[in-house]
Amino acid sequence: MTTITPQSLEVPARRRGTGTRATRIIGLATIVMIGWLAVFGLLISPADRDQGDSVRIMYVHVPSVWLAYLAFIVTAICSAIHLFGRRHSLGVDRVAGASAEVGVVFMAVTLVTGMLWGRITWGVYWQWDARLTTTALLFISYIGYLAVRGLEGTRQQRARRSAVIGLLVVLEIPLVHWSVRLWRSLHQEATVLGTDLDVSLDGLMLFSLFSGVVAFTLLFIWLVLHRSRMLTMIDLAGERALDEALASRISEGGEKRA
Amino acid sequence: MRDAGFIIGSYLITLGAIGAFAVRTLRLGRRLADSVPDEDKPWL
Amino acid sequence: MAVSDAPDLTPRPTAERSRRSGRRILPIVVLTLVMIAGGVIITQALSTAVDYYCNVDEIGVRSGCDEDRRLRLQGTVAEGSVVTGTVATIFDIEFNDVVVAVEYEGEPGGIFRECLPVVVHGVFDTESGLFLGDRVEVKHSEEYVAVNDDRLSEAEAMACQPSA
Repeated sequence: MTTITPQSLEVPARRRGTGTRATRIIGLATIVMIGWLAVFGLLISPADRDQGDSVRIMYVHVPSVWLAYLAFIVTAICSAIHLFGRRHSLGVDRVAGASAEVGVVFMAVTLVTGMLWGRITWGVYWQWDARLTTTALLFISYIGYLAVRGLEGTRQQRARRSAVIGLLVVLEIPLVHWSVRLWRSLHQEATVLGTDLDVSLDGLMLFSLFSGVVAFTLLFIWLVLHRSRMLTMIDLAGERALDEALASRISEGGEKRA
Repeated sequence: MRDAGFIIGSYLITLGAIGAFAVRTLRLGRRLADSVPDEDKPWL
Repeated sequence: MAVSDAPDLTPRPTAERSRRSGRRILPIVVLTLVMIAGGVIITQALSTAVDYYCNVDEIGVRSGCDEDRRLRLQGTVAEGSVVTGTVATIFDIEFNDVVVAVEYEGEPGGIFRECLPVVVHGVFDTESGLFLGDRVEVKHSEEYVAVNDDRLSEAEAMACQPSA
C-alpha cells in the first residue's frame, strides 16, 4: 500500500512566464482603449464629406504606421546603445529585436488597411507610387533585419550585426514620410504630422485618431515587454541546453577514461 | 454604412493580426517559462 | 626568461583606447553618410521618373509629359462636365486653367465625382484630341471635414478648388 504524505500531494509550482502586474494593467488598459477606439471609430465619429465612411479606416491605418515608425526608432536607439555603450548589453539588443518584430506586424497592418482604404477612395488596391513603394521597401528592410537576427553566430555577433543594420534602415523612415512631399504621389500628404502644423481634421475625427494612437501605444508597450522577455527566455533556455549538453559530454568522457 | 465590408474588415484584420501575434507571444512565453528558473528572469 | 622580456600588461593610455573606439565608429559614420548621400542622389536624379503624374498644364512642357506617349494626367474634374453614357463616361479635367477632355470606358471607381482631383491613365487620340483613359484614380486631399459639418462646408464642397 502506498503511503500518502502531504509532500506527495503538492502540485509542482509552475514557473512564471512573461506576465507581471504591470503588463496585466497595461493589457487591461489596452483592451479598454481598443473597445473605445472601435466605438468612436466605427460609430460616433462622423463620415467625411468627400470620402464618406471610408475615413473610418484612418483610425487604425494611421496609428499603426506611426507605431511602426516608433517601433523602428526604438530599435535604432537600442542598437546605438548596444554598439556604443560600454557594456554592449544583450538586454537592449533583445528589446531592439522585440521592437522590430512588433514594428513589422504594425507595418503589415498598415499596408493591408491602406490597400482596403485605397480600393474605396482611389479605386485601386495598389499603385507603385512613391509613398506606397517606399513603405513596401521599409517593410521588406525590417524583414531583412529580422532575418539577419536569425543568422548563425554568437549572441554578441547577432547583436552587433543587427545593430548596424538597425541604425542604417531607420534612415528610410524620413524618406517614407516625406515621399509625398518629395515626389508627386497618389497618396495624400500628411494631415497631422505635416510641416505647416495646421491639422486639417474635424474635431471628433481628431479625437478618434488620438484614441487610436493611445490604444496602439499601449498595445506596443505591452507587446514589446512580453516579446523581449520571451526573447530573453529563448536565450537563457539555449544557454541551459548547451550547458547540459557540455556537462553530459564531459561526464561521458570521464566514464570512458575510467 | 457604405463599403461596410472593407471598413469593418480593416478593423478585424488589424485586431486579428495583432491579436494572433499577442496570443502566440504569450503561448511561447508560457512554454518557455518552465525551462528557465524564476530567479534567472530579471523582470520578476 | 628575463623580467624585462615579459609582455607589458599595463592598461593602455586612454588616448589609445579612444582612438580604437573612434576606429569602431568610423565605418558606421561613413556608412550613414553613404546612405544619406545615396538618398539625396536618388531623390534628386529620379524626381521626374518617380513622380506619379503630370499635371494637365504640363502636357508638352515638362520632360516626360509629351503628348505622344502614355500619360498619367492629374487635374480636377470640372464642375458640370461629367456625362455618363452606356459605354463611356466623358468629363473634363482642369489644372491652372488648362482643360483636357477625357473619355473613359466604363464608370470610374473610388469616390469619383465633380470637383475632386483625379489621375487618369491613358493616351491622347490624335484625331479627336480626346484623352482616352483606361484607368481613373481619385486623388483625395489631406483635409477631412465631417459630412454634416454645416451648410457652409457643404457650399464649399460644391465649389471646385484647384488641387496641388
